[in-house]
Amino acid sequence: MTRAQAFSEREVAMCVVARMVEDGKTYWAAGGGTPLYSVLLGKKLYAPDAQYVTEDGVIAPIPMLPFEPMMSMVASRASYRALSWGNMNTAGYFAQLGFMDYGVLNTLQIDKHGNINSTFLGEYGAGGRRMHGPGGADTIAACCWRTIVITDQEKRKFVERVDFISSPGFLDGSEGARERAGLPRGTGPWRVVTPAAVYDYHERRLRLVGRVPWVTVDEILEECEFRPLVAPNVELIEPPSEEEVQILRTELDVRGQTTDAAGGWITWDGKEYARPA
Amino acid sequence: MTVEPPPVIEVLAEGTAPFLPVDPDGFREWVRDHKSRAMASKLVTEREAVERFVADGDYITYECNYLTRGPNLVINEIIRQRKRDLWVAGKFTYVDVGLLVGAGCVSKVDTGFFLATPGVRQALAAGELAIYEYSNVVMSMRLEAGAQGIPFIPVRSFGGTDGFTHSGAKLITDPYTGKPTVIIPALNPDVAVIHVQQADKYGNARIFGTGISDVPAALASRKVIITAEEIISTDEIRSNPGATRIPYWCVDAVVEAPFGGYPGTVPGYYASDPPAVMECFAAVLRGDVQPYLQKWIYGVGSHREMLEKNVGAGKLLDMKKREIVKEGYRA
Repeated sequence: MTRAQAFSEREVAMCVVARMVEDGKTYWAAGGGTPLYSVLLGKKLYAPDAQYVTEDGVIAPIPMLPFEPMMSMVASRASYRALSWGNMNTAGYFAQLGFMDYGVLNTLQIDKHGNINSTFLGEYGAGGRRMHGPGGADTIAACCWRTIVITDQEKRKFVERVDFISSPGFLDGSEGARERAGLPRGTGPWRVVTPAAVYDYHERRLRLVGRVPWVTVDEILEECEFRPLVAPNVELIEPPSEEEVQILRTELDVRGQTTDAAGGWITWDGKEYARPA
Repeated sequence: MTVEPPPVIEVLAEGTAPFLPVDPDGFREWVRDHKSRAMASKLVTEREAVERFVADGDYITYECNYLTRGPNLVINEIIRQRKRDLWVAGKFTYVDVGLLVGAGCVSKVDTGFFLATPGVRQALAAGELAIYEYSNVVMSMRLEAGAQGIPFIPVRSFGGTDGFTHSGAKLITDPYTGKPTVIIPALNPDVAVIHVQQADKYGNARIFGTGISDVPAALASRKVIITAEEIISTDEIRSNPGATRIPYWCVDAVVEAPFGGYPGTVPGYYASDPPAVMECFAAVLRGDVQPYLQKWIYGVGSHREMLEKNVGAGKLLDMKKREIVKEGYRA
């Protein structure tokens, strides 16, 4: 794998999630941004027999790429050559039944127990900032066996307790909290991926397990409002490859809307990675 | 021998938000008294449909959104007729809620997902808008319960969230398993508006492609407006009954609506018009929708007039040409 010489932060996160995609597993990708592109990249390079659904009930399409701008659901190119066309309720039924192995989401804010907020920043109803709401993410986070969350590595996004639980993580972190709230047994958060780090969960608490070579563990911890657990060996994440970024840019996100390439490039001169100032 | 007593239904927690009252028997009586079983033409213009079937204060749901297979001509007509105090099912919506709120048509939203625009935030801060929290699937499952004529439905999501607290959901002990289970109230809207590819004049409707909750919305709602890209004959409907997703007796109005989803896409028929979509986004994101409404809605008398004046045949033909996928979108 040849390492890419320049890439954006979002591309890092998408490449990392793409490598988690497994053959023979099912993925519910939320919306049409980083989650869907991560799964598509994973299918193209690593796991062609991974299958995915989106909120509109499409099952295992062979999408005609690239999508029209902003048209990732109830759109002909996105649902092209699917095995089945359903609707939001059928997507919900399959998740409730246990057919969805992984849910892939992005979010505005996440807390130490993996709860995510996409509804309201600040104190609810008291002059904070109204956001868009959970969309399908609530069902994904509740009913897929494992949930992968993509977000940015920023202090305001990694908080002790989210302002509003839009979609459930491990709730208050106590054992059995999800089941006591009526959620299916054995489900829950699995990984969090940022452009700098990968986290898993240890006893329902976020734990740093991976970092990119150009960011130190301390720098990551500075970008968390709470102190996550840190694994004894924080592994180095392999940076994006030429092949990965090429597919992202030329086949998937051809307009650069999701990769946020304008946000600045991380560059590699063959020895060191340099971050944008 | 000891026998375990059966679990008792106990309400463990409940949301505090108002919700549209649940009344399955009332809905049945509405169906008995108002849903005609006669095979009579229901063809009307979008203007007549909104005049007759959308009242101030109604609870309204519409399918998909402004970007894709949305009943945009009716959303626009609701704005044009300056309907007020609507309660909107904001599931899988996008800019459309921002447009409706910006136009002053809405006082309550059950969400879901919608673009939280400056106009929405202003209306919230001014106390002119109330938002009740659900999620997309929870909303479509509420419609599913409404479509079954039952008062509530259990779901396996939503528990433990703060949305639950600000909704009409309850957490109960399920009397069969004894486990905590979330139940949500059935939703029977006053109005459903659904854009489809094909319908006959009675309202037998075909929908091709994926969707959100088209059929549940049609079954669950007191007044149903179907807008169709093409009006086809009943003979053609009868030639492929399996393609009929919504039967006529659910339907109160049928609007012939070529390019009725403009500026969005109608899968299999035409691609979207991205500059016009972006113009709409820009308007709601700026927080001042009035110039947009003036140009696209108030300043024209109908959807057809808007297409003629603001869009033109060249662009419409280009949208058709760009929609190269046809597979699966015809009976």
